[in-house]
Amino acid sequence: MPHRKLSSSRRRFLEGAALGATALALSPRRASAQAKPTITYWNGLTGADGKIMDELIDHFTRDTGIRMEQQRIVWADLYAKLQVAVPADEGPDLALIHTVEIPHFASDGILEPMADSATSAKGFKAEDYLPSTWQGGLYQGKRYAVPLDVPQHLLYVNVKVMRDAGLAGTDGKPKIPTTRDEVLAMAKQITKGDTFGFAIGTTNPGRYTWGFHNLLWQNGANVYAADFKRSGLGEPAALEVAEFWGAIQNQHKIAPPANANCRDAFIAGKLGLWIAGSWNFTGLREAKVDFVAAPVPRLFKQAVVWTMPHQYTFPKKKAVDAAKRDAAWAHVRWMSDHVAEWTLKAGQVSALRKPHTDSRVTADPVLRTLLGQAGQWQSGQATPKWVAAENITRPVIENVYIGQKPAAAAMSDLARQINALPD
Amino acid sequence: MKPRRARRRGAFTPYLFLAPGLVLFAVFRVYPLLEGLWLSFTNARLGRAQHAFVGSANYVRLLDDTRFHVSLVNTAYYTIASTVPILAVPLVLAVALNRGVALRTFLRGAFFFPFTLSVVTVGLTWLWLLDPVIGPSTYYLRAAGVPVRSWLADPSTAMWAIILTTVWWVTGYYLVIYLAGLQDIPRELYEAAAIDGAGGWRSFWSITLPLLRPVFLFVLVTHVIGSFQIFGQVFVLTNGGPGDATRTVVQHLYETAFQNFFHFGSASAMAWVLFVVILAFSLLQFRLLRGHTQY
Repeated sequence: MPHRKLSSSRRRFLEGAALGATALALSPRRASAQAKPTITYWNGLTGADGKIMDELIDHFTRDTGIRMEQQRIVWADLYAKLQVAVPADEGPDLALIHTVEIPHFASDGILEPMADSATSAKGFKAEDYLPSTWQGGLYQGKRYAVPLDVPQHLLYVNVKVMRDAGLAGTDGKPKIPTTRDEVLAMAKQITKGDTFGFAIGTTNPGRYTWGFHNLLWQNGANVYAADFKRSGLGEPAALEVAEFWGAIQNQHKIAPPANANCRDAFIAGKLGLWIAGSWNFTGLREAKVDFVAAPVPRLFKQAVVWTMPHQYTFPKKKAVDAAKRDAAWAHVRWMSDHVAEWTLKAGQVSALRKPHTDSRVTADPVLRTLLGQAGQWQSGQATPKWVAAENITRPVIENVYIGQKPAAAAMSDLARQINALPD
Repeated sequence: MKPRRARRRGAFTPYLFLAPGLVLFAVFRVYPLLEGLWLSFTNARLGRAQHAFVGSANYVRLLDDTRFHVSLVNTAYYTIASTVPILAVPLVLAVALNRGVALRTFLRGAFFFPFTLSVVTVGLTWLWLLDPVIGPSTYYLRAAGVPVRSWLADPSTAMWAIILTTVWWVTGYYLVIYLAGLQDIPRELYEAAAIDGAGGWRSFWSITLPLLRPVFLFVLVTHVIGSFQIFGQVFVLTNGGPGDATRTVVQHLYETAFQNFFHFGSASAMAWVLFVVILAFSLLQFRLLRGHTQY
């Protein structure tokens, strides 16, 4: 009978489905995967390095079963969002931030302190890291972050531009400047028409504070005096840097205009010597630009190299979900164990020492150059006012760059503004 | 005669229909406005739960904030300098298109197209066009032997570059409004004027312009309000630079609230000062352009 047949078949189907569901539910693997939490992770890796982070997160999820919901937000917006979201208990489980952001987020209660017992239990030890990066995770004696990598400056030398300017040896290799005099001489030789000899910064070189800070540190100056109570930008060493900042555009006429896109100019073969961040070099390779990476030249007293380490942090939660916190720790541990992959693919030198001797890393000429600068690394000062002081600095140094304001008046005004910053 | 109860119910009916809109308006407009007013008298900082009443301290601080003063002057400069091209360029184009030129529909769409783009897209496009090293404008000007300058890095030209970008962006929008106004003017008026011997210019001056007065008022008021709140173009094109040459009030406010210490109290005070300025200008414009022309 057709009815009977149908009923029997439906019963068999239902029995089969029930058995299947039970088997799935009882499967230990399935049970384990369901128990793994999903964690939220915010970072500002909006460039080519973001895709590499995606790959590594996929790899991490395959290895551990922990899923990550990632939000990539432009750094400046990420910091504003953290400041809003965390007090509303809407912050992520894990956030990657720059070292200089730690003091103000820590003092505002946005970040969770990490107990020494927790970091050591997870296998994070000071001796495994380069000291400056490990120290960068501390604020007022408490640890708030574990470092990942060390974005830093280096000198990009455009081979074609150098050859066209007659600045290559008989072997075709470009000459590499190491001092201020050499930089100025070569840059003057390169600059012609719409081709420029020298620039610091990716876009808007006039207001590139990271480059300005690099020069300050090379001259022994800094934004704040050692006690953080007043600005050090009124000192003669800072003034000397500001004068150089204005001179490259107005006196030597070797640098592109204040709002130029130096990265595009370098790719287009219109810029010869370019001090910029290490995050640019994978993009230059993709664009098939013939370039050589060299250490940042010593333009002032000492060969200091600007760095801005990325740090893993736990934004504060009203009630910590232990499973999610463990999962976040697991990711930080996993990334630290696989950081050589990050270095090789994203071009960011590890804050951990171990990958520095990895033969794949040392075989890469650019990474080798970056590692060679390790002894000269310096980062921003650990004060909550650092970021606000940096924001104030931008228009002031741009005015100097375009010759709108004399260096002395600009620095004195900047120091006054920084000293007036509210607590 | 309707019973009193029924009449009362009838009187409530319109408010019932208005209620959803009014509730949304109260929650998302009035409440934030009043909350902002309260914050302007406190030392509120984004992310901090506690804040204290500080009286007029935030307003007093604005008197010493030289960058706020520069921002106000720049905003006023932008508003005044951009008003004439914003009023004139779309009007000229609308009058031309209203005369039935060839490809009228295509041209109307072409002029309107930029307005469909987001401010970031517009800004990035013009940033590239005006790039001092690799931008097309630099290339062609140099090829034509014209001295090249960095429009956005020169304090004397940066604001004009922003105005140019804005005019290119919003012309299509105002053009459509002008066209609607022009099509509202009865044809008989032009015919009568022609019979009386009036030429094209005379008709434009004596018929078109006076009858477009309500449209002018709308364009002027919306443009001035929008100009005082200019942010997107400046943020993308110059970030307030060179130096502070194009820094505007909203950018200063944004940086105070979201970049420099998250000082919501100070930023709210700036917002209220801006509100009062915009209100004063809007009332002034309504007063100056009130009245109605009829034939």
